Order: sequence, then structure tokens, then C-alpha cells
Amino acid sequence: MPNGSMRYTRGRGNAQLPLAIVAVLAVVLVLVGKAQSSLFDRARASFTDWTRPALEWVSAPFDTVSAWFDGIGDIFVVYQENQRLKLENARLRQWQSAALLLDERLKRYQLLLNAVPDPAINARTARVIGRASHPFLDTMILDAGKEQGIKPGQAVVDARGMIGRIFLSGQRTSWVLLLTDLNSRIPVSIHPGNIQAIMAGDNTPTPTLETLATTTPPKAGDQVVTSGDGGLIPPGIPVGVLVASGHGLRVALLADAAASQDVRIVDFKLPPEQPPAPSPNDLPATAAGLKPEPPAPPPEVQEPQGPAAQTPATTATPKPVTPTPAHAAPKAPQPGADDEDDTQD
Amino acid sequence: MSERLGWSFRGAVGASIPFICALIGVIVSNIPVSLFGTLVPPPMFGLMPIYFWCLVRPDLMPPFAVFIIGVLQDLLGGGAAGVWTLSFVAAYAIVDRERDSFAGLAGVGAILGFGAAMLVAGASAYFITAIYYWHMPPVAPIMVEIAVSVIFYIPVALILGVIHRRLVGPLRGDF
Repeated sequence: MPNGSMRYTRGRGNAQLPLAIVAVLAVVLVLVGKAQSSLFDRARASFTDWTRPALEWVSAPFDTVSAWFDGIGDIFVVYQENQRLKLENARLRQWQSAALLLDERLKRYQLLLNAVPDPAINARTARVIGRASHPFLDTMILDAGKEQGIKPGQAVVDARGMIGRIFLSGQRTSWVLLLTDLNSRIPVSIHPGNIQAIMAGDNTPTPTLETLATTTPPKAGDQVVTSGDGGLIPPGIPVGVLVASGHGLRVALLADAAASQDVRIVDFKLPPEQPPAPSPNDLPATAAGLKPEPPAPPPEVQEPQGPAAQTPATTATPKPVTPTPAHAAPKAPQPGADDEDDTQD
Repeated sequence: MSERLGWSFRGAVGASIPFICALIGVIVSNIPVSLFGTLVPPPMFGLMPIYFWCLVRPDLMPPFAVFIIGVLQDLLGGGAAGVWTLSFVAAYAIVDRERDSFAGLAGVGAILGFGAAMLVAGASAYFITAIYYWHMPPVAPIMVEIAVSVIFYIPVALILGVIHRRLVGPLRGDF
């Protein structure tokens, strides 16, 4: 690799002006990229969509070879691994029974408390067609995009826990910002104690915790799950376990983004919380002990066409309300009334 | 006719080879597939032809070519826009300015020369990213990137030397 053997002499001054222009253009590009990142993102997403078949074609043998390399080490510990998995399986069966019991109990408590049920969560499965680990970016590319309903912000999980979230979606591909990435910030909850914090990636395998909102410090071994703050990521997705690192704590992630082949993209639509409808007792006139005025008759509405259109008009007819005494005790839940509540809810 | 005008198709092809090599390097660097998982970052293949031809034949690697290579690196890399573009331009400027010093290097010195260029590019990218996100990123990943790139420059420089002697020179006809 001789540098000097093919040396070519050029007047340095010739390159000074173009170099200055290019340097200015590069600075402008940085500023434009900061101000209008969507331009660059759209171009990037289009390019990934365009190269998706090639990516799938290229990644297949690499994935096979990578899995083969991973498997080489496992050959020597197959017996020990089998024994360990049998023990773990037995332990997990016990936990499964306990979890099912607790789940049933939780549902009964939610019914008793008339708690807002958890929103339904849909998920789509996508295949990883690319991974990239650059100094300032940890990402993976999935073979699902807007055509499959994938949108930026959605959480990406594998069988063990959360991997990251979508930050760019093209028509048929999407990019995942991994939890380890420098730009990753997600609200998490640390258990036990329900300590709220922000987990921040710093391009190391173990993200850090920021903004710990508690006076009780967490300790190594505590579980980290998503808190659901902000309504973008569902609460309760396993994230990792706290481990001691130097003088602080870091999060050892449960999911292994480097090994995940198929992931699930969680479509979480948190419905806006509605205030409860006011009861007659809440009306100021009733609370003051005055008899409320009967509601005004509904305005004359033209007869709608079709049987389907008649139903709302029928149900919208107001009924006279009989005020109940403010001191009337609420009806206490009776034992064995759960079945009735079930049908009502 | 074109020969008389000082332009030939063969010459144009020869002149574009360094640029094409750099584009291929950027694409190879940013193929989102890694045999080593995500533990080792891909080498910065795009900077190697820039450094090589900036010393050997700077007329074949003009600043605008460096700009386009940097834009492609940013586009495919997935990071913040313009970070590697500006970093490549900064490295190019340093190498071009100190070309007499760099061009005299051979053997291990040439590798260290590329290491210096890569250090300039990496440090530039690091500080631009820090300003961009207003957050100091960890130093270790960029140091690993620099080290991996320097190691991979050894075989790549040999390949680039062969390309220069066998393709660029004969096609240009002025080698």
C-alpha cells in the first residue's frame, strides 16, 4: 500500500474553492437535515422499499451462516442446556398456573372496581431483513411498512421483550430504533415499587435510567417494564432487569435484537379517556335540594328513511329522571353478584 | 472528434472508477447484514477510496465527488443527515492539505496515514452528532469503528492499488 509510489502532483490551490463550496454545502445539509428531517427520511424509506428484494436475498445466507456460527458453541453444551431447560420448563409451568389464577383474580377486582379495561392491542408479525450497528445508530429493518399498517412510534417486541420502536416506515419496509440506540428514550416502570423512569440508550448493550422519579432507589435485580406513559407504547411490556454497573444501575435487556428473526409490531391505540357521564345527583339544582326542571321536548325531526336510521331517534328520546336522595347509600356489591356484573360489562 | 476535444470515453470511464469504487464501498458498508451480529460495526469502506485517490490522483477524486459519497453514506446509514458528509469533507480537506506528508508514507506509515484520516472523520462525526442531538455520545463505538476501518484498509488498499494500476491507469492513458 504505497502512497508515494503513484504520487501525482497537483496545484493545491485548484481544489481550495470547490472544497470551500462543498464544505458550505455540507454544513447546509446538516442544518437542513436538522430542520427538515422528514425529507431525508422519506428518501431513505423509498430507497429501502426499492432495495427490499435485494436485502431479503442478501440477508438470507448471512442469517444462515450467523445462526450456524451461533450453533457451533451450543453443540458442546447440549446436555447441560437440556437439563437446564427441563428445570426451567417445570418452574415456568408453576408460574403459569399462578399467573392464570392471578389473572382471573385481577379481572374480578377490575369488575368490582368498575375499572377501565385495558385497551385492545393488535400486533403484526414482521421479518427482520436487515440490521445495522453504526457508531451513532443501532437499527434493524423489517419487511412490513405502511401497507401493513405500520406507523412510526409503534413498539417492536420479540418473544422475550421489547426491542425498540418504529421510527421510519416506508410502503413495504420500516426501520426500528433499537432500545440501545443513542436516540432511544422510553418511559419505563421499575418493579417492585412502581418507580417511574426514562430508559435512555447510549449505544451500549445496557441502556441507562434517567429521571428517576422516586426517593426510594431501585436495586439490581428489579424488573423493568414499559410504563405506558404518553399512550404510545403499551404498559407492561417486559424490557429488562436492572444490573449494577460502576456506581449506577443499567438495564440488561431481555430481548436480543441481534438474534431476533421475527418480531411483533404492537399496534396500540389508547382511546382517549372520557370523563364519566354526570348523574342527576351531580347537577347543581339537585345538589341544592331543588327539583330539577323536566327536560325540554326534543325538536321535531323529520322521519328518517330506512329502518336502520330509526333506531337512534328512538333511543335518543329523553326519559324523566327521578332524583334520588343525595344521602342514599350506594348499592353494595353482593357476594355472588359477579356473574351479573359480567353480563353488564 | 471527441479525442480532438480532449475527451475520450475510455478516459471518462477510467476517471469515474475511483468514484464508483467509493460508491460501492459505501453500499457495502451499509448493507444491513452483519456476520458478527451487531458487536462489530462495519468498516468505513467509503472513506478508503477517498483517501487513496486523494493522495494518488486527486484530480480523480474531486471535492464534489466526496460530497456525493458522503450524502450516500448518510442516506444509507440511517443516521442524522449530513454528519458523514461533513466528516468526509473534513477528512478530505486535511488529507489534501497535508498531501505531501501523507503521500510520502509507505507500508505501516500508509496505514497510519489512513488512521489519521479516519480519526479526523470519526472525531468530526462525533462532535457533529453531539451538537446535533445536544448529547455526548459514548466514545467507544466510534473508536471501534476507526479501529475496524484501519484494519480493513490493509487489504482494501491492496485491491485499490491493483484497480488503479490495471484499470484506471490504462483507461486514462496518462498513467
